Amino acid sequence: MSLSTSSPRTESARRTGQGSVLTKDGLKVWLGRLLESHRVIAPAVEDGVLFFQPVSRPQDVVLEGKTAISPKGWVHPQTEVLFRVERRDGATALESPEEPPQQVLFGVRPCDARGIKHIDKVMLAEPSDGLYARRRERTALVGLACSQAWPECFCTSLGLAPDDASDVDVMLTLAGDIFLARAVTEKGKALLELAPLEDAPAGEPAVAQLAKFPTDGLAPAMKANFDSKYWAAVADRCIHCNICTFVCADCYCFDVRDAHVGGTVERLRCWDSCQAYGFTRIAGGYERRATKGERMRQRFAHKLLYYPEQFGEPLCTGCGRCVVACPVNIDIREIIQDVLKMGVKSATARAE
Amino acid sequence: MLNSDLTQQIRDKARELLESKAAECVIGYETGSDGAIARPAFIYSPDGVERLVFDDTCTHNLASYLVNRKGKATAVVLKACDARSLNVLLQEKQVARDKVYAIGVACDGIRQAVWGRPKGELQDRCKACQGHTPPIYDVLIGQPTSPDPPAPSDFSRVAEMEAKTPEERLAFWQRQFARCIRCYACRQICFGCYCQECFVERLDPEWTGIRVAPAQNQMYHIIRAFHLAGRCIACDECQRACPVDIPLSLLNRKLEEETLEMFGHRSGLSAEAQAPMATFRPEELE
Repeated sequence: MSLSTSSPRTESARRTGQGSVLTKDGLKVWLGRLLESHRVIAPAVEDGVLFFQPVSRPQDVVLEGKTAISPKGWVHPQTEVLFRVERRDGATALESPEEPPQQVLFGVRPCDARGIKHIDKVMLAEPSDGLYARRRERTALVGLACSQAWPECFCTSLGLAPDDASDVDVMLTLAGDIFLARAVTEKGKALLELAPLEDAPAGEPAVAQLAKFPTDGLAPAMKANFDSKYWAAVADRCIHCNICTFVCADCYCFDVRDAHVGGTVERLRCWDSCQAYGFTRIAGGYERRATKGERMRQRFAHKLLYYPEQFGEPLCTGCGRCVVACPVNIDIREIIQDVLKMGVKSATARAE
Repeated sequence: MLNSDLTQQIRDKARELLESKAAECVIGYETGSDGAIARPAFIYSPDGVERLVFDDTCTHNLASYLVNRKGKATAVVLKACDARSLNVLLQEKQVARDKVYAIGVACDGIRQAVWGRPKGELQDRCKACQGHTPPIYDVLIGQPTSPDPPAPSDFSRVAEMEAKTPEERLAFWQRQFARCIRCYACRQICFGCYCQECFVERLDPEWTGIRVAPAQNQMYHIIRAFHLAGRCIACDECQRACPVDIPLSLLNRKLEEETLEMFGHRSGLSAEAQAPMATFRPEELE
């Protein structure tokens, strides 16, 4: 698949011509204006690590590179208070958490934006999660097309593109030393009104090119190989930490527990990981997925079988963070290709 | 010795052990999915031994996998530093000596190795290598290149840290722990963290709870560091595994220095040594 300079989207962005270009200085001016009315969450460096974090100055925003963790935590926080219960003057009072702020996630890559869309499908399906819905309503995504691919990137193999604008409100594409800026939604249009757009001639948009591998027939192959010894074999080297699920752009599983803080009880929702021993522990101490192989199969079956069955696409956007972060090199791209290689043969063999 | 020679000798030994059924599994290294950086490999049959490699990207401390294979005859490739963790596991009665066949490797040092990226410089632990010859092994692969007894650890970064004011140190660690995502990769990759249930996940009593916040993260890391005092063998795997680059080794080095000063103890040099935190001597009442 060619993702070079003449994709229809960027062409049309260029044709709209008038005021669709932001210089690097213009981008800073825009960020400054956004900061007056929004909480701005953007990639910034702390101790050498690139993170999505609240920024207070435009010059702290870093638009090159890839963050260590996806920005999903800014719509689905790693820890959030669902409500507080307090005892006051002998009576019990229930308090809602603070309303989420108006925020802009700035410089979000297409894979990460699709990850948030995947979480939306779960959290906003009726009956929707009220707190998530309120936070999501107050969140705008300013996307940034990837002008460079990293060795672990494989978004195109899962049907995305490095300049895919379908899940953001504004799309920025680097062209030479300026940005092409395009409003994708009404929310994005309102944000771009604050930008000092110019109609300076744009250079050629820089969009990354990636090698692609086939993923057709993955869900049936996953189903056919559910009982395969493959899972236990791959899981041998797994150390069952939570790193893959926590750096993931898509993983959204959580645990809910109560915590005492002084005289208050807070009901907390925190990320949880299917890779952890204890994730499926139930009353009486029974552990449904006691072995590493079962837990590893769960992660990949959720991504490549259950979620696609329910929502029509894999719960993976090819950001590749788990590939780099895994301390023992469990590589989802390798898993996908192994499962496709095993195909539906083993199921047929069983039927015979 | 050339890595290709080490690789061949490891393969030969692995084949011999699997064919004679002296081991039902050999834990070693194979080339990872980027075609360059090694990863742990579990080999169960002689046909699989050709997968095994040894080179300067074999960073993992494979002793971490031994507790999970308790009671099953297992051969494991151990670099000199990693072999010290086998001694600690033996001291702590976590593995039976007759079930472990240690393929010790006298290695020339491991480079910083991140998946898909060019190899970096020699790792810090190797720059201050405490001895190339494993203190415990059943077979030694490669030639020891430095004399024993092992050199002391490098505490220069601890000294730099201690030169700061308490306020500066507190601010430094608070910033580090604030960005922890509690993925527990540091704990899971550690040979010494083998508790069935970690205090941090205990529900009753609940020490930290599930909240991921600076104070809770700090408690997790400080208690984990204490639990490793006198046990950590400075393989630095926790720091390598951390996705947000928290300098955990600095914390471990500090406790290593303390245990050395207070008890004259260095972890893992022998399987018979007494662990300072598990030993009580009346004269220590001070």
